[in-house]
Amino acid sequence: MNERLKILIVGVGGQGALTVAKFLGEAAILEGLEVMVGQLHGMSQRGGSVECSVLIGPGKSSFIGDGQADIVLGLEPMEVLRALPKMSPQSRVIINRGVIMPFSLALQGLPYPPIASITEQVQEITPYVFEVDGPVLVRRIGVSRVLNVLMVGALTGLGMLPFDRNVLWKVIEKKSPERFKEANLQALGMGIEAVASKKPAIAVVMESKEATC
Amino acid sequence: MKQGTFDPLLVDVKGHAESLLGNEAIVRGALEAGVAFACGYPGTPSSEVTDSFFRVAEQRGIVFEYSINEKIALEMAFAASLAGARSICAMKHLGLLYAGDPLSTIPYIGPRGGLVVVSAGDPSCRTSPNEQDQRLLAPMLFLPMLDPSTPQEALDMTKFAFELSEKSRLPVVLRPTTRVCHSRAVVRYQRLMPKQVGGFVRDPERLVPVPANARRMRIEIKDRLEIAEHMMAESGFLRVYGNSDQAVLASGAPVAGCHDVLVESDLYGRVRFISLGCIYPLPERRLLEALDGVTRLLVVEELSPYLEDGLRSLAARRGLSIEILGKGSGHFPAEFEYQPEQILSAIEKGLGLRADGPDPLAGQASQVPVRPPTLCPGCPHRASQFALRTVFGEQCLYFGDIGCYTLGYGPPLHTVDSLLCMGAGFTLAAGVSRITNQRTVGVMGDSTFFHSGMPALLNAVKEKVDMVAVILDNQVTAMTGFQESPGMKQLADGLSREVSIEAVVRSLGVKQVETVDPYDLSSTMQAFERARDAQGVSVVICERACRVHLARQTGQTYKLGSYQVDSSLCQFCGREASGQRCGQSRSIAFTRHMTQSRIQHVDCKSVEKSSQAPCSTRCPLGLCIQGYLGQIAAGQYKNAYEMILERVPMPETVCRVCHRPCEQACVHGDTDRAVGVNDLKRFVVDWAHRFDQAAECAPWVDCGIRIAVIGAGPAGLAAAYHLRLRGYRVVLFDAEEKAGGLLRYGIPAYRMPREPLDRDIERMLASGVEFESGRKLGENLFIEQLLDDGYAAVFLAIGAQKSIDLPVERDPDAIEQTDALTYLRAANRGGDVKTGKHVVVVGGGNAAVDAARTAVRRGAERVVIAYRRSRQDMPAWDDEIQAAESEGVEILCRLQPARARADGLLCVKTKPGKPDASGRSRPVAVADQKILIEAEQIITALGQRMDESWCASSSFDLEREAEGLVKIDPLTGRTSHAKIFAGGDMTPANRTVTEAMAAGIRSAWGIDAVLRGTEVADRRPIAPIVEASLEKRNVDRDQAECRRPANDPSRPIDDSEVAVVLTEFQARQEASRCKVCGLCGNCRSCLDLFGCPAFFVRDGGIFIDPELCMGCGVCESVCPNGAIREAANE
Repeated sequence: MNERLKILIVGVGGQGALTVAKFLGEAAILEGLEVMVGQLHGMSQRGGSVECSVLIGPGKSSFIGDGQADIVLGLEPMEVLRALPKMSPQSRVIINRGVIMPFSLALQGLPYPPIASITEQVQEITPYVFEVDGPVLVRRIGVSRVLNVLMVGALTGLGMLPFDRNVLWKVIEKKSPERFKEANLQALGMGIEAVASKKPAIAVVMESKEATC
Repeated sequence: MKQGTFDPLLVDVKGHAESLLGNEAIVRGALEAGVAFACGYPGTPSSEVTDSFFRVAEQRGIVFEYSINEKIALEMAFAASLAGARSICAMKHLGLLYAGDPLSTIPYIGPRGGLVVVSAGDPSCRTSPNEQDQRLLAPMLFLPMLDPSTPQEALDMTKFAFELSEKSRLPVVLRPTTRVCHSRAVVRYQRLMPKQVGGFVRDPERLVPVPANARRMRIEIKDRLEIAEHMMAESGFLRVYGNSDQAVLASGAPVAGCHDVLVESDLYGRVRFISLGCIYPLPERRLLEALDGVTRLLVVEELSPYLEDGLRSLAARRGLSIEILGKGSGHFPAEFEYQPEQILSAIEKGLGLRADGPDPLAGQASQVPVRPPTLCPGCPHRASQFALRTVFGEQCLYFGDIGCYTLGYGPPLHTVDSLLCMGAGFTLAAGVSRITNQRTVGVMGDSTFFHSGMPALLNAVKEKVDMVAVILDNQVTAMTGFQESPGMKQLADGLSREVSIEAVVRSLGVKQVETVDPYDLSSTMQAFERARDAQGVSVVICERACRVHLARQTGQTYKLGSYQVDSSLCQFCGREASGQRCGQSRSIAFTRHMTQSRIQHVDCKSVEKSSQAPCSTRCPLGLCIQGYLGQIAAGQYKNAYEMILERVPMPETVCRVCHRPCEQACVHGDTDRAVGVNDLKRFVVDWAHRFDQAAECAPWVDCGIRIAVIGAGPAGLAAAYHLRLRGYRVVLFDAEEKAGGLLRYGIPAYRMPREPLDRDIERMLASGVEFESGRKLGENLFIEQLLDDGYAAVFLAIGAQKSIDLPVERDPDAIEQTDALTYLRAANRGGDVKTGKHVVVVGGGNAAVDAARTAVRRGAERVVIAYRRSRQDMPAWDDEIQAAESEGVEILCRLQPARARADGLLCVKTKPGKPDASGRSRPVAVADQKILIEAEQIITALGQRMDESWCASSSFDLEREAEGLVKIDPLTGRTSHAKIFAGGDMTPANRTVTEAMAAGIRSAWGIDAVLRGTEVADRRPIAPIVEASLEKRNVDRDQAECRRPANDPSRPIDDSEVAVVLTEFQARQEASRCKVCGLCGNCRSCLDLFGCPAFFVRDGGIFIDPELCMGCGVCESVCPNGAIREAANE
């Protein structure tokens, strides 16, 4: 692999974005690939925005420049909007439908923007938008903490990672805390299915528009 | 966490690949170098260095500590180095300058074991108040310095740094930046080296920098730097790729960025790329080699142009003709982290190159609501800072410090007015207090207190500064990732502090110290109040372990329970159902008062609130008393005035003469004294008058229907005004020249001055009510005629104008006798009124007292009130009686008039008999005890009844009740005649001004409903609800203390008003006493004041997210309506 695959993970503190990055990094290492993970978390532990980068392939920095993200994995819809400058017409964008209300909106009594409008804004840049109904799937599993692994699954389902699902399976099996292991593995499978099988009820896959570039 | 399984940092296999954070790689480097001592003070982005050492220290047999601050950390590390151990200490950029004192002398003495100082930089101020460039300190203090660009380099440099330090005998600073500290990449391991501790070797000449020694050491530094430069040259941290005459030199984190940009733009082979990790001393010889043949050089380094300037100086000294580009040439800014596109653009522009491939088409940034970090649900800091802000209020200045609690800066807590650095919270509070005498509060956490707050507090104590210092002890250094707080000991089921903060504070000389649990809001607020009221420095320690940390340490669940909002109470206005919601919009100040009141009056917490406060249910006009009192307490007088004006037709009048049933209902009366509600109304009305706030009420569209109102007293005026507001054409008839009735002709001016009365009346008439004076019912005004003339309805409110006679015998030459009403009317008309030298007033009501006090003002030398029952039984208001006495009126009780004689009034003593219908004992005359009150004039004040003379001329009879009162429908005021309504003293009612107004309004709405054929609208004032429990209350108590009439003997006794008016301060204090007994719809305290992120709003309702709520239960005390309750266990 000559080119670097640049994955941007965005979400809210507490959603497990750092863990997603860590799992992807581990998987790359297992496959003998070069990988850099940037986890500039700042004060994210207190419910702020989080942004992590995973860059698989040869390279030294963990930066993802403007228009450089190959994949944007959005654990939270509004956080995906913050990452618009990192996207290009080739970017694949996965959006979890579960919202976390920014407290600043709650304080002002303002509503959360409709998810459809968020998706539309992303579609103005790239046609490759995948929505994942995280809350529904997570409820099916019954453990709220597995959302991040579900999204790792969705990412795997895109088929763009330079390793297959078994590698991630191994990593998650090895690195998960015992009490979440089973749920995490279940979530991985569900996530993969949600995007790979393109079931409209769960994942809405939009590829009707032609890429402009 | 400490006893983990096998730690990946400890794999002792050469060539092993492990994915590590830059900070972890530093630790691995130190372990490979055989480090024996490690310490530091946590601070993002350096924290993982100390945290990783903490994790592995025991297993590796390394001595480790979280030092209490960076200066101590460096001194500890240096001490270990002096003792022959390789030692390392870690901190963020800010800490390096805090440790500046030891740092500047260590190069003179020189370490023995290698000494490495990790000081992590934070370009772009990601988690810091500044982005200082520590590199500039290197030449100033003679500190060899290295700046890694990747985790692997961080490992290699750390290892090298120990060797460099030992050989050069200088401390070496490793300066990674956030981008490297927090990047994770695979690093390759070498074998671990066992630690060695050589021991301390006594050598004072070399180790004591007294001036003579220091001068020698200074000379030695030159040689040491030479060694260092040589080693830097051989270190391999200066690398050159390519051989173009166009070069890019990058250092630190930008090396990796530059590398990737060059590779991805296919420029990699087309420029010479130099990466430089050696910051100081610069390996000059090697640099010259690297730059050989270069004609143009772009320097890529974040923050200051340290290398750029150094290279310019080098080129000038060596006569190189290189064009050096960078910040000086405007290709880079001197601020913030560099993004890849910035670097590419500078290379293209600076070196005149063009990258291959199309420009990336990136999306445009979109406006997205910010998601600032907030304190976690259940965070004790929120409770503490909420209590702090509630007690100290708007005027106080708040100084914060570094920690999670800095988040109190934003809405809704707003408890940080300024912030500087670790420990400055107390100093800033002290400094501002000293220079301005303003109330100040300094806030810091436990770790910060130990870090540098202790000396700050001592300084404030020493200078006797007036300030409050708050220590938020959550028993952990939470912000940087839960490092141990000094003196904390972990127990099986929790945490315990071995070093008592309270003991430290006391030993620093603070007298007023309290430790409270912030989850107990009421106690916390009381402690803050005591601290506020104490002199000098006072300290409150809010102690409650961080729940997140505790749960992690003990394995306990994070959740303590779960709370929910009862939507039937939340934002519920008890008056809304009857259309009486105030219409005021929600405000922070008002909500704060409501909440404060709830927390302070702890008894309310357990008591179910009634939907309406007892005071409101007793108000004839249906005022929301807790509401306008709340607005006063909040300083929002205009809102208070609007609330009063909406329900009180004559505010200037009512605030002077109301009989104040609300104060009798006040629950304070059970324990201390009722809130002075009417004086607060007076305060607001005066305020409105002073600032010309008199609002006008716009009448509805004229409906063309005419209505006659007869009698311009309080009932008639109120009815006329309210009918006019509803669009009727109203003519108000009165026998007197001016409108006002009893208010003008019955109540003396010293109680009811005429200007405010005129203002009230003027405002009402200005709404379009027509006033006809000199029209007396039965003489020149007839109801039949009015109805014939097309008036759709008549409202009768002629009052009770006929006095009840004194049933005593009069001698033929008996002294003059008049009734109070006649006497007062004559006096109030302004002309002369005949007043005897000695006057006896018979009666015990307000009219008797009014007459007596008027007589005093009209020249009577001796005025006596003779009353047949006891003083307690007098119906006159207590404060009126007291005022009369203070003006010299004598009150003689238990005297029943027997005979009017030429020399005065002969009375018989009475004694209490059996109780009568009113509950008072019936006076029984004691025939043989007679007393003569010498007087020249008798004024009788035994009550009044309706003047019935008009009935004779009328063709119909209105149905009557006892004592000749006109019978009406209590809801509408309608009499037995379909078109005639009546109210006020001529109907069965309590004869008070306020109730007369209420009757007028009630009838106005009643007339409106009848004429429009609708139900009686709900907005009319409700009839007072008399609750049995209220009747039992002690109503014979002091009225509000602050209203007591001036007993000042120097006060002139004339027609000027006698009343004490509250100052603004008194008013707000008094209003704050209100316990807010009823529910209120104008509140969102949980969100607007407390701000727990577990709350959310959906469709206007407030809810708690059960996933987020951790069950601290503090919000339960915050909610004024008591709508938040613990959820039942599932």
